[in-house]
Amino acid sequence: MATKVDLELFRRRVPAQVKLVLLALLACLLLVVDAQTRFLEPLRQGLSVVLYPFQRVVMLPRDAVVVVQDYSNAAQLLKEESEALQQQRIELSQVIGNAAQLVTENRQLRRLLGVIEDKPIHPAVVVEVLYEPATDYRRRLVFNKGSRQGIEPGMPVIDEGGIVGQVIRVTPFSAEAAMLTDEQLAVPVQLLRNGLRLIAFGSSIPGKVEVRYFSSDTDIQEGDVLVTSGVGGGFPAGISVGTVESVERDAASGFARALAQPTSHPERYRHFLILKVPVAASRTNAAPDPSNPIAGETLAPVTTN
Amino acid sequence: MRQSRRIESLGSAGLVRTQGMGADEIDLRSDGWVVWGSITVFFLLSLLPWRLMPMAPDLLMLVVVFWAVHEPRRVGMFTAFILGLLIDVHDAGPLGQYALTYVLACYGAVVLHRRLSRFNLRRQALHMVPVIVMSRVVTVVLSALVSGTWPGWSWLIGMALVCALWVPIGWLLLLPGNRLASMSASTE
Repeated sequence: MATKVDLELFRRRVPAQVKLVLLALLACLLLVVDAQTRFLEPLRQGLSVVLYPFQRVVMLPRDAVVVVQDYSNAAQLLKEESEALQQQRIELSQVIGNAAQLVTENRQLRRLLGVIEDKPIHPAVVVEVLYEPATDYRRRLVFNKGSRQGIEPGMPVIDEGGIVGQVIRVTPFSAEAAMLTDEQLAVPVQLLRNGLRLIAFGSSIPGKVEVRYFSSDTDIQEGDVLVTSGVGGGFPAGISVGTVESVERDAASGFARALAQPTSHPERYRHFLILKVPVAASRTNAAPDPSNPIAGETLAPVTTN
Repeated sequence: MRQSRRIESLGSAGLVRTQGMGADEIDLRSDGWVVWGSITVFFLLSLLPWRLMPMAPDLLMLVVVFWAVHEPRRVGMFTAFILGLLIDVHDAGPLGQYALTYVLACYGAVVLHRRLSRFNLRRQALHMVPVIVMSRVVTVVLSALVSGTWPGWSWLIGMALVCALWVPIGWLLLLPGNRLASMSASTE
């Protein structure tokens, strides 16, 4: 270790005030540029690649605990899971029988009408939650796979209950998704009962989805099921979104809003599916469509916390 | 290290302590690895999910500011800025938010460090209360202005916890270099 004895009479160092002004200005500049544009994405990606090994190392004890837990009650878990699967299998077999009949019937009707069938099945990636970012306003999840596995911003995230959210930011090793309940996310939806097209937003009430901007005489009731409509191209049609819990009709403004409970459970499990929908195509389609403001990279991050 | 100890023992001779005006006091006791090791440990701790709790104290900030007071030649505003930026990226929040908080807190620490070296840890903590709270107030108000929503007051409790933890964590950090003895000697 070099000694720090220094016989220099006046040390020339950058004064603290100058450093403060420079660094504080730089921080403010970063805040503004990051909120308004996407110029800083490469910087963020670079830093997150640097952070990634640290994040993994820190999570090792947690992963170890999970492994030990899974191992120690593996028999019990397997038994429960097999019972649940058995029940599901019986239920599904009935549904499949019904569906097969409907498919043949549908195909026949489409042939009669001359409608071309175009319903591609999207490939999907299974991802695991890496961590939940600590922010006050937003509901986000960070997954353990990124652009190296072909994930792009704009792809929908689903679990067995339906839509969980949408990928909004991708680094080589991780992907950040806004959840359905995030106030910045908007999903084009449809009522299963009457086909009414609406837009679902994240709500200021935690854990709820809000449907806004429809007139107060619209036919929407408690218990109505919302599914994605496929309008805008960001989300494939027909994925479950939520169940309407309450409808508030405001006679004064003429508009109404409804609160819905999401059918997915992002807080319960660690594994999710990211659907690899062709994002670039949907983004160009969605650009003029105000119903899908979050499609891909049009998202402007809001400063929080 | 051996050399530095030798100089320390010569310190009473007087001449070796000669230093330029405006320079910080020569401190030959604390090791770099204690400073950087503790910052690394607390940085890694900050990547864990306990910070999701609304009143979680910002321990990384505490350690950085603490070293900015006790080791201003090693840890300064630039270190604080880089660490803040990394936390911003980890939190997927707006870039520059924690960087600004840490830089402001470190500035307060750098400005106060001469004065604080005369006090024991408890009094240092009291001195740092306004610095630590104000640095956070600035970013909370800024982000509230931008996002249009007030995040509540739980962060204030987190900052109070940071100040309260100054004493125990500071005691731990000063333990390896045997610096506590000199500190209590200077206050008595």
